[in-house]
Amino acid sequence: MDRTPAADRGTSSARDRVARGAARATGAILRRTGAGGGSALPGTVLERLSPGFVERRAAAFGDGVVIVSGTNGKTTTASMLRTILRASGIQTAGNESGSNLRRGVASALMEAPATARMAVLEVDEAALPALVRAMRPRALVLTNVFRDQLDRYWETETIARHLADAMDAAPAGCRVIANADDPLLWHRAREHDVVGFGVASLVGAAATGSRADAEPEACPRCGETLSYAGRTIAHLGRARCTACSWASVAPEYEATVVSSSGMSGIVVKIRGHTIHLGIGGVHNAYNAAAALAAAAVLGVSEERAAKALEEFRPRFGRSEEFSAEGHAGWLFLMKNPAGAGVVIREVTEDERVGAVVVAVSDQIADGRDISWIWDVDFERLGAAGLPTVASGRRAADVAVRLKYAGESPVGVDPEPRGALRTAASAAGQGRSIAVLATYTAMLDVRRALTHSRRARLEDVG
Amino acid sequence: MSGRGCDLVVVHLYADLLRTYGDRGNVLALARRAEWRGFGVRVCEVGRGEPLPPKTDIVLMGGGTDRVQEIVGEDLLSRGGELLEAAAAGAVVIGICGGYQFLGRRYVDARGAVIEGLGILDVETIAGEGRIVGNVRAEATLRDERFELIGFENHGGRTRLGPDARPLATVPQGQGNNGGDRTEGAVQGTAVGTYLHGPVLPANPRFADELLRMALAERLGGEPLAPLDDALEEAAHSAARSRRR
Repeated sequence: MDRTPAADRGTSSARDRVARGAARATGAILRRTGAGGGSALPGTVLERLSPGFVERRAAAFGDGVVIVSGTNGKTTTASMLRTILRASGIQTAGNESGSNLRRGVASALMEAPATARMAVLEVDEAALPALVRAMRPRALVLTNVFRDQLDRYWETETIARHLADAMDAAPAGCRVIANADDPLLWHRAREHDVVGFGVASLVGAAATGSRADAEPEACPRCGETLSYAGRTIAHLGRARCTACSWASVAPEYEATVVSSSGMSGIVVKIRGHTIHLGIGGVHNAYNAAAALAAAAVLGVSEERAAKALEEFRPRFGRSEEFSAEGHAGWLFLMKNPAGAGVVIREVTEDERVGAVVVAVSDQIADGRDISWIWDVDFERLGAAGLPTVASGRRAADVAVRLKYAGESPVGVDPEPRGALRTAASAAGQGRSIAVLATYTAMLDVRRALTHSRRARLEDVG
Repeated sequence: MSGRGCDLVVVHLYADLLRTYGDRGNVLALARRAEWRGFGVRVCEVGRGEPLPPKTDIVLMGGGTDRVQEIVGEDLLSRGGELLEAAAAGAVVIGICGGYQFLGRRYVDARGAVIEGLGILDVETIAGEGRIVGNVRAEATLRDERFELIGFENHGGRTRLGPDARPLATVPQGQGNNGGDRTEGAVQGTAVGTYLHGPVLPANPRFADELLRMALAERLGGEPLAPLDDALEEAAHSAARSRRR
């Protein structure tokens, strides 16, 4: 019997060992000098010194590789799936930091323990087709297609095309797990060996009128107007074309929202299993349905997967808890109108929240064009009368947006520390602060919380 | 508002489809800035196959992805007469990004195929090599008013103006219409086109107000618009001046 650890079977060349050593040293230097998290550059070094490393290392996982991609929910879905697999006794590697371009994936593969039987990796949409070819996954989980970082990828159709190319590039036998409530994505996915997931439409979710945070609602086949029998988030829902015969279907893995308690949790039912999720929001009902469907495809019993999901706690930035200036707080990542809309709904429904900070920056990782903030439902914040502080590199533009949403900000401060201080004094005794931040703005908030004596960031990962 | 009934009808054309760059914000800026001055405003979203409401004062058309622009193209050409008529009656027609290109005479795509436009603006767009992307600072002139414009551009087409249109602005920072002649946008009568996202109108209240003055000309009877508190917008402008391209 072959006793060589799995990781070494595929990567045993001397060249790989030297390359790994050099890459690790790079990561250590980066961490020591404080030049960055050190999660991506080692991958670049590794790939340069040892071409083909990603292919070889991916092939070495005894139980294969699962890839998660799509605009929203990648990190949480991948993390949920790892939680389920680990709870089932399958040692699973992954890119937990969310570094999801090729070099980040290479770094994660480099750090993967030799004993890991499986890898669950989230992959950026643009990097997806090439990484599917390189890693030959046994399952491909596709969450949704929303507008994101338009100046980088230009168009939602481009994102949809990346996902379609990836499905075409997948090896024979690869199962696709796709969001059946997303018309553009489902139209492409149903041509493959696909398992659908979704969320049953919410009561009171109107099927009429255009919604600012949705993608254009045109039939993915003929371009005519789609009519919705029900919606969940933005353009996600059960739709049919008003002209041709295109229609979405009830997915195999459909979550029904049983009850919701703001940011702290949501109860869903999927195929008869009632699951108390420790994180709130309809988007997490989607993430849970996706993870459960993927786990089932990988052979985990649904019952076990459902139980494991109840133990799941969020990762980096997707709703972290902190305390600052004597107030408790939540930190949310805001990437696009649909995701932000869901968070705003949670925030306004949670009576503990006394003030909000909206922090928007415009670096490449945030998306340089911030026009999208005008499609975010900040009107709901204004209507709730929550005092709001504008922050981030584009604090001044956030302030204008909030003014038009019905409530001018109580403060404008690009620096997170000052913004948090203003929010704390506006929140009222014993009330919490909710921070909604784009990617680099969130990093700035975390840095401020980590370095401040009057603040603390909980490690909820 | 204020019992005056409706003074201003703003049409958001293809609001369900052409809205990729926060164009709802442009409509919001026009509507709120008129309401804050006591005018009654009605915003109508007009989709494919639906007629413009009678007495339309402003028509705004935003940008979309290539596929969506293909989808609206046919319907748009069938309402060319309607839009020209509205413009002739004094309605302000605003095209932003893709909407700007639609207002022009034609668009020539990367394969050389010609897509006819509405011809409300004497401009022509040809698909170019690579996209023009980045922050813009422009100096605009509209009806003898001069003001600064800030925004973000992201387009593949190169637009050139014919003799009947004149540029909306020049670009000290940015590429503008075509990356060559330092112009940005176009104006012809009451029709205005620009490539600027931001969205451009809430970011640039003086531009929004000039458009409102054009649309409300008769009702204002030569009176200026009442001033508003634009301190937040002015702060955003001074922040933009130190932003890199």
